[in-house]
Amino acid sequence: MIDFEQDNGTTRDELVQRLALMEQMIAEGRKSTARFGWIFVMWGIIYFVAMGWVVLLPFKQWAWPVCVTVGILAGIVRVRRMRAAGIGENQRTRSIGAVWQAMCVAIILYVIALGVSGHGDQPAYYAAVLFFVGLAHATSAGILRWRAQGLVAFIWWGCGAALFFFKTQNEVIAIFLAAAFFGMILFGLYAMWLERKRAKALVQHHA
Amino acid sequence: MPDLPELDPVVHGKLRLAVLSLLVGVEEAEFTWLRQKTGSTDGNLGAQMMKLEEAGYVAMEKRFAGRKPQTLYRMTPAGRKALAKYVAALKSILGAAL
Repeated sequence: MIDFEQDNGTTRDELVQRLALMEQMIAEGRKSTARFGWIFVMWGIIYFVAMGWVVLLPFKQWAWPVCVTVGILAGIVRVRRMRAAGIGENQRTRSIGAVWQAMCVAIILYVIALGVSGHGDQPAYYAAVLFFVGLAHATSAGILRWRAQGLVAFIWWGCGAALFFFKTQNEVIAIFLAAAFFGMILFGLYAMWLERKRAKALVQHHA
Repeated sequence: MPDLPELDPVVHGKLRLAVLSLLVGVEEAEFTWLRQKTGSTDGNLGAQMMKLEEAGYVAMEKRFAGRKPQTLYRMTPAGRKALAKYVAALKSILGAAL
């Protein structure tokens, strides 16, 4: 918390504090993807659930359309709540938002087409989903200049490419779940940890 | 201690400086977001925003998002210039003091 009582300090320490305050606030204003770490965790879990449904439950052609729709609706509700709490917006956050929204639309149309046409059991079709997600991660990483997310993009692309070389259902599932675990759940948890760490540092800095 | 007049007193206020630093990274921001990020009160933040507006460093716009009223702030070119000048002055003073 910032102490606003001593407002006109001019000692050297106070001036240094001013610089630190500015750096902290500029960083705070520019934060974007890390605030959305929960989305990656949620989508990782959705992928696991959808895959579980495909393997274990009936009406498997509806697994992906239903799970993806539920995920999108949950995401919309959560983001609306965050917006209601007030957010700062800039070109960077809008760019990243646009990338992920476009990816969501592409995937939902794609999986609906797969489900309806009954082609959902082809490894190459799953690979396309992995490449979609990798593309969104890579674009986001480029905008944010975030190497960790760039690495995640390569995990998705690598897993997507690997799907072409493994044919059995178990192999395909294992690769897909590995991508979802490392590229979504683990990355999302890392982003959430970064977010909490920054928030903690902000409070300690102004305490 | 170097002369104080080099530091713009409008920018130098801690809360005003925090707000300008937040605004420099975003195109526009809601009042509630600024309040949340700075941890200040409605009254204090409102008073400081008014000072920044009077100095021409921020511009305020009221609009509706659906039925919800929003108060949005954006930094003006004069505000950016003032902040840049303040940073240069601050670094110069600190550099001289070392």
